[in-house]
Amino acid sequence: VKRTKGLPTRAALNITPAAIQKVRELLTSRPESIGLKITVKQKGCNGLSYNLDYAKEKETLDEEVLMDGVRILIDKKAQLSLLGTEMDYQESKLSSEFVFNNPNIKGTCGCGESFNI
Amino acid sequence: AAQPPSDLSEAPSFTYAKRWSTSTSRSSSVDSEDSETGNAILRLSPSCVKRLKKLQSEEPDTNLMLRIGVEGGGCSGFQYNFTLDHKVNEDDRVFEKDGAKIVVDTMSLDFIKGATIDWNTELIRSAFRILDNPKAEHGCSCGSSFSVKT
Repeated sequence: VKRTKGLPTRAALNITPAAIQKVRELLTSRPESIGLKITVKQKGCNGLSYNLDYAKEKETLDEEVLMDGVRILIDKKAQLSLLGTEMDYQESKLSSEFVFNNPNIKGTCGCGESFNI
Repeated sequence: AAQPPSDLSEAPSFTYAKRWSTSTSRSSSVDSEDSETGNAILRLSPSCVKRLKKLQSEEPDTNLMLRIGVEGGGCSGFQYNFTLDHKVNEDDRVFEKDGAKIVVDTMSLDFIKGATIDWNTELIRSAFRILDNPKAEHGCSCGSSFSVKT
């Protein structure tokens, strides 16, 4: 199912090339998934925390971001807090992680896993 | 000319020497058990060993170790610090499992005695972490920061 190219609106989420490549890599090993889904959970010492999961289908209220053939779904509850965020992937010997650079964030936890808006 | 010892005679003596050295309590370098209680001081999870061996294979010429430090900071008072290191300092202790090495300075070791070092893989993040630290009360959900049990 291909989405018709709509008007060029601002994407709800910006995905860096590094993140696109990693997502594509992850999805090749999971052909039954149509993309990744971002949800926001109430957890962590600063209130909110991102979660990432494989998505098998798009739910009605999910926001869909398609970039270079990579599909990211954003959960309804996560859309507001993610607006204008850049999704990046950083890899080092000690860790590899998806990083969300969110301009709306007021504070984060030491590890950067939880945040508040 | 006199022949050097053949392989046959060399091999058993090598294994013997190795067993001997691990069964005696050496005060320095590689050890993993508390000499008093016999409990493991630090446990390395299989995924941690696997990850460290992979990192080592990328730098075969070096003595690669995962250094764990505990410092003040984070939202719960203390936080773990992971770095890669190649040298052992005077007040360090090295823990080894299947060729994977972890080095901790004695000050930090007091805070993580009995814990498990793990390499955690999740979709959103893969990183080293400390599991089941008996000295810590987990304050932070991500586990990078903790407060000490009193």
